[in-house]
Formats: sequence, structure tokens, C-alpha cells
Amino acid sequence: MRLRSKRAWRAVRRAVFWGVLGLGLIGARPASAQDFSGKTLVVGVWGGDIERLIREHVVAALEKETGAKVELLLGGTGDRLAKIYAERTHPTMDVAFLNIYESPQALKDGVVDAPDPSAPYYKTIWPGMNNGCYAMSLNGLGIAYSKKLVTSPPEWADMWKPAYKGKIALPPYPGSEDDGVLAVAARLAGADEHSADKAFSKLAELKPIATTYTSLDQVFGLMGSGEVAMAPMIGGYAMAALKKDPDIGFVYPKSPGPVLVRDMLCLVHNSPNPELAKKFAALALGVELQTAYATELYFGPTNMNVKVPPAMANDVIASPEQVKSLLTLDWPYIITQRAAWTDRWNKEILGD
Amino acid sequence: MPLSRLLPIIPLAPACLLMGVMFLLPFGMVAVTAFWGQAPGSWLVDEAFTTRNFARILADPYFVLVIGRTLRIGVEAAVICLLLGLPVASVIVRARGQVRGLLLVLMLLPMVCGALVQTLGMLNLFGLAGVVNGALKQLGLIDRSIRFLGNETGVLLGLIQAFLPLMVLPLVTVLGRIPPDLPAAAASLGASRLRVLQRIMLPLAGPGIAAGAILVFSASVTSFVTPQILGQGHVQMFGPLVYQQAALVLDWPFASALCVVMLAALALAAALLAGVARLAARPRA
Amino acid sequence: MSIGAAVLTALVYAFVLAPIVVLVFSSFDTAPYFSFPPGGYSLHWYATAWQSAEYRDALGVSILLAATATLIAVPAGTAAAYALARATWRGRTVVQAILLSPLALPLIVWAIELMQFYARIGLSGTMLGLALAHTIIVLPFPVRIMLASFARIDPALEQAARTLGASPLRTFARVALPLAAPGLVISIAFAFLTSFNDVVVSSFIAGARSLTFQVRLYSQLRSQGVDPITLAIGAVLAAAIVLAAIVCERLFRWSRHV
Repeated sequence: MRLRSKRAWRAVRRAVFWGVLGLGLIGARPASAQDFSGKTLVVGVWGGDIERLIREHVVAALEKETGAKVELLLGGTGDRLAKIYAERTHPTMDVAFLNIYESPQALKDGVVDAPDPSAPYYKTIWPGMNNGCYAMSLNGLGIAYSKKLVTSPPEWADMWKPAYKGKIALPPYPGSEDDGVLAVAARLAGADEHSADKAFSKLAELKPIATTYTSLDQVFGLMGSGEVAMAPMIGGYAMAALKKDPDIGFVYPKSPGPVLVRDMLCLVHNSPNPELAKKFAALALGVELQTAYATELYFGPTNMNVKVPPAMANDVIASPEQVKSLLTLDWPYIITQRAAWTDRWNKEILGD
Repeated sequence: MPLSRLLPIIPLAPACLLMGVMFLLPFGMVAVTAFWGQAPGSWLVDEAFTTRNFARILADPYFVLVIGRTLRIGVEAAVICLLLGLPVASVIVRARGQVRGLLLVLMLLPMVCGALVQTLGMLNLFGLAGVVNGALKQLGLIDRSIRFLGNETGVLLGLIQAFLPLMVLPLVTVLGRIPPDLPAAAASLGASRLRVLQRIMLPLAGPGIAAGAILVFSASVTSFVTPQILGQGHVQMFGPLVYQQAALVLDWPFASALCVVMLAALALAAALLAGVARLAARPRA
Repeated sequence: MSIGAAVLTALVYAFVLAPIVVLVFSSFDTAPYFSFPPGGYSLHWYATAWQSAEYRDALGVSILLAATATLIAVPAGTAAAYALARATWRGRTVVQAILLSPLALPLIVWAIELMQFYARIGLSGTMLGLALAHTIIVLPFPVRIMLASFARIDPALEQAARTLGASPLRTFARVALPLAAPGLVISIAFAFLTSFNDVVVSSFIAGARSLTFQVRLYSQLRSQGVDPITLAIGAVLAAAIVLAAIVCERLFRWSRHV
């Protein structure tokens, strides 16, 4: 028994020695020549167009550069968040795309790594955007509306007009759209998101909510038939879908300005492939993918070097002025209220 | 002779082993987690014993209401599926050849296409802008769309559409074994219809009815997609509630506690049912 | 058969199949999002579906997974159901309740615990881990349905076989199982389709290499809406199953066994 453990210990020491020597040699070589073949990077991301663009602009290049394999694990942020929390001690995911309001909490709980201010891709992002994780895209919460029922682009306050009573649709709580709407309601009532009572009582004036929608198709179908007049919606996807439908409009309101919502790119703490993850981040936050995001999905780039075609300037949040016009909420506060607000939403907004 | 005593239990081993390791162990953790909490301002599970989650559930009429509503809708779905399923199954049983094969496979189709896409199909049929409302308007029967969905009726419609196969097909497997002339023979001997049903059909079809009812009830009670999409936020049920807490609020201890309470409610209901059944089965004087 | 039952049956079928008819129509739609009735007709989405390697892979994973789970769960569940149906010992109802318990709870909470468990033992994101999880999801179906099937068989038939010298295994294989064949067919169908349609458990347990069709569909549904490609695939699946049933009826007369 003792003999065996001694032999094992010697083997471990030898392995450590060669390992350290090997790492030193690898570290001494230029970064681009690193060989990651046999490694697999796991990236958690949304399905649909985002997946397609990441495949086209990042995965192919990264696989070619490093010899590693990149696998995209599709799902919603809830699935990814649950996964990185559940696997906290033994993570299998390297990179996770999360929402703006989840990433500071994920950092606080130690499941993702803090953004590194010395990384080159940190510096190309608009100042002050990397909260918790790296900012991936800028989007605003605006209003999608039926042009048959709403003749001119509405403001937030128009949702409360008697003519539209019972014709406002909202997504299921919790989510950044609903939190954004609550914050807007609070502002219309002369307060902000820290006054939950005012926010909820103002929003409850919209009851009955026409429908809780789980997909954009659902809302657009109901707008087409005149059963829904307006629905708060995140700019990017809505805008891309609406270019195909003349009867539905989308607007970023001005008072208050559109609520800033963001996709964040998070490096999972203790992930199996930290170096590959950083290379992925560099490509994902680079000009090529961010330009594709802007031109195909109307997602505003976080990278200051991206040039958006002039024709799209009104639809895509990209200029410093547009970024400044956005309403930034106290997301770290909102996230602490999530459990309580979920109960209130279930009862006060959806209940009878 | 220990071996021959053990012999009848051996076939249980694979299923029990699988269920024990893969379900009961993790589920034991669910039961433990239900007595944990979250540190303030954190989503990490705090492994200190607390009964806070249960206190919150029992003190808030909302959660009790949701659990009660869910159980009621589950029973309604099972009963309606049984009422619709019995005649349908008896028609299938009597059909022969190609027709029988076709009827069987068509009944399975709702399970082939998946709940997600189908529920959206339901939305396009029964929604405010749906086909049914459109047709009624065309016929001049209504001016304003009827709200089929976004209420309990809508959720029930969706559950029945999705889970009817779970009732019909088990019924077919038992009804097929009842000789078709048996009820007629009983009737010709002077048995009333009720008596034929009570003494012949129910005992023979009973196992199938029980199987179908349990499958439909369980599927309805745990359903997530159907109440979420067809309830449109107006009919909160247990499946979406637990999903909301577990995947969106990320409060696993609370979601676990909800499940434990639901399990207790189900066990209580089962015990009550068993009691009633025992009373009903007692020979009458 | 009464006219009433036939009319009711026709109505029930119309109701059950209506959403699927909507799906088939919409799969030919030219509109960019799921709507009914369609604006125009084309085979565009079928062509796109045919070319989509991602959807093809996901469909392959789903079918392999459902087949594996069915292959483990149906024999295990049938054996257990037989033992339970013939059991007289105390506690059999407890064992039965345990085997059926995955039916009674929203599986998301279990899936989250399983995910933590898998991360520890290195099963995370593997096909094996997902197949085992799916086996648990589908196991209650053969147990419950076969229990009903075996309960319907007169134990006297089996006793007769035993008296004539057949071993217990032979009695089961030659007497009980053939009599329970309809239940077996339905068990296989339910197990396979339940696995094929699972979203909630798979979206936590599946890895990138074991991404199922439903997870791919759901991950997109929540951000952008239904990809019409999935409607085309759904329509093809439905048509294929109906066609296979008709052909197999000709060849094997399978419906007699149900």
C-alpha cells in the first residue's frame, strides 16, 4: 500500500515537472502558433440568426486558427444561467451569452470572470459598457405597433390612452422587456424603478393585458387582425421582422428614451478552455461579427470601430449620441427585486 | 426456498435500479434543497436549514390557489378525455384493416408533431385572430372575436387536444379484449344498461381507464408549454410557475419547495381516492 | 355501433387533427412568420429544410435518443409491470408509485439537480447522460400501460401453462407477453414520442453534440419565433408516419395487434 502510494507520488512529481516545462515552452511561443487541436470550446448562445452569424463569422475562423472545435449549445439565457450555476464547481461551458441584468449578478456570485481591462477587445468597446461581462450588442426597448390602430409612431404614454385599453401585449415575467416597462411606468408616474409601488400601480392601469406572448409571431399575428395595438419589444429582432411587414411599425420612444438592453458575452469562471474562450471573445467582439449583427439583425455594435451604413443609422444604435439618449436602469437593484417583483407581477399585473 | 420467493421480484430490478439512481437520488436532493434558501442578494444556494420556503407557500393564497387550480384542471382534462375517449376507442376497436390502422396512427399524430408547434397551431385556430373566429365573423354570427384562449377553457382545449391520445390508446388495448357480444348477451338476459356498464364494461375496461386517467391527469398537471402559450398569462398553472421560479427567478430552493408541496397534495388526493374506492368496493347489504 | 359514436368520433378527430392541418398548410406559406391561413404557397421551406445540416443533425440526434431510451425503458418497464401485476406482497403499491413518480412532477427541478450531479461525474453534455435522463422520462409509460395490459389477462391461463411444465420465463414469453401485445405496441409508441418531444429536460441536459430537434426549435422560438423550416419538417414527419402506417398495414396487418 505504502509502496504503491510512493510510486504514485513519484509519478505525479514527474508529471508536474514535465507539465510545467511543457507549459513554459508553450508560453514562450507566439500566441497564434498555439495548437488547440483536440480541444472543444463550448459556447452557450441563442438559436436562430445569432447562431448562424456566430457560425459564419467566428466559429469557422477560430477553428481554422486554433485547430480546436467550437460547439454551440443553443437555448435561452435562463437555461444557460441555470447551467453555469449548477455546474459552478465543474463547469463544462466556456462562454455564455447572458442579458445585461444577469451578468453583474453572475459576476458577484463568482460564476463568470470579470472583464479584463487590459485585454485589447475590452478597449474597443464603448466606455462604461462592460458591466459584469463584456458588452456584446446594444439594443433599445421600444414599441412595436399596429399601423392600422396607431396612426403615428407612439410614445410610452400613448399605451395608457383609453382607445388602446386591453390591446397591449407583454412578454412573460421576468425578462428585460417587462423590467424596462416597469421602469418606464414608474417614470411616467414621476418616480423611477426604485419605487416599485408606483411602477406596479401605473402598469396595472393597462389591465387587462391582451396577451402574454412567447414569440414575436404571436404578437404580429394579433396586430394584423387588430386585437393588439402595441407591444413593448426589443429593437433588433422586431426591426428585422418588420422590414417584411408594411402594417406593423416599430419606434424608439423619446420620453423617456428607449431603455438600454444589452447582450453580454461572459467568460465562465474556471472554464475548461480559458485561452480558447478569450480568443472566441476577441473574434466575437471584433468588427466583423459586430458589423454583421448590425446590418442583418439591427443589433447595435458595442465596438466603437464598427461603421454602420448611413441608411441604417436611424434603426441601429451606434453613434455616441444615440448611446447617450438611452435610458440606463439600475439593473443591479432590479435583479435583487426579481423574486418579489415576480410575485407582484403574477398577482397585480396578470391576476384579476 | 429463498430463490423461488425472490423470483417474482427479479423482473423489478432493472427498472427500480434505474429509477433509484437516476430519479430518486436527484429527487432526494430536491427534497433537501427545499429546506435551503438563498443568501440575500445572491442566486447561490445557501445550505442552511430553513422552513422559509414552505412558510411563504402556505402563507400566500396565490400559490395554494395555483396548486388547487392545477389539480382541478387536471381532473377536468382527465374526465373530459375519458368521456370523449370511450366512444372513440370503441369505434377504433370495431374498425378493421386499413381503417383501423389509419385511426390508430392519426390518434398518435398530436404526439408526433410536438407540443410547441401544435400549441401555436391551436393559437392560429382559436386565437382572437384565428380561423374559428374568422369563420364565425364571415357567417355573420358574431361581430367581435370570441375569447376562447387566455382563460381556463382555452387551456383545457389545448390539454385535451394534446393529451387525448394518452387516454384513447390505453382504452383501445383493453376494450379490444372484451368480446363484442358480451354486453349484448348481458342485456338479452335482462340486465339494464347501467348494470351492464357497472358489472361488465367497467371491471373489464377498468385497468385501461385507470391507466388513461393517470396519464392524462399527470401530463396536464405538469404541462408547461400548453398553459404558458394558451393561458396567455391569465391562467397560472403549476408547470409554468415552477419553470418561472427555477429557470427565470433562479430560486431553486423555492421551486423545489413548490414541488414538495405539490407532491404532498397529490399523495393526499391519492389517499383520499383510495379511501373512497375502498368504501365504494365494500359489498352493499 | 351507434351513429352517435361515429359522429362524435369524427368530430373528435377533426379537433385533434386541426392544429396539425394548420401546421401543414403553414409549411407551404410564403409569409415570413407563422400565420394561418397562409398568404401564398411555395415549397421554399421544404427546400431550406432539406439543405439545413443543423436541423438534419438535430433530427438524427432526436431519433437516436428516442430509440435508445425506448429500447431500455420498454423492456425494463414491461418486466417491472409484470412483476407488479402478479405481486401480492405488501408494499407493491409503493414500488408502483415510485416507478410512476416522474409523471407527477414538473421535471425541471429534477433536471437541475441532475445537471449538478452530471457535472460532478463527468456525464455533462454527453449523449449517454441525455439517454439515461430520457429513459427515466419515458419509463413510467410502459410501466403504467403494461400494468393495465397484464391486469386484463386471466392468471389462470398462466397457471395452466405452469402446470403443463412451462418455466416462468417461458410462460411469460409465450402466454403473457403475446396477450399483452397491444399494450406493448402502445408503450413503444408513447415512450418513443415522449422522448422525441421533450423540451424542458433536454434543454438543460443536452450538450452541443446531443442537441435535439425540439431544443433547437425552442431556442429559436423564444428569440425570433417559429422557424418555418420546423413546420416543413413537422409536416414531413407527420406524413411519413401516416404513410408508414398504411404500408405496414398492407404488409404486416399491424393494427390487429393493438
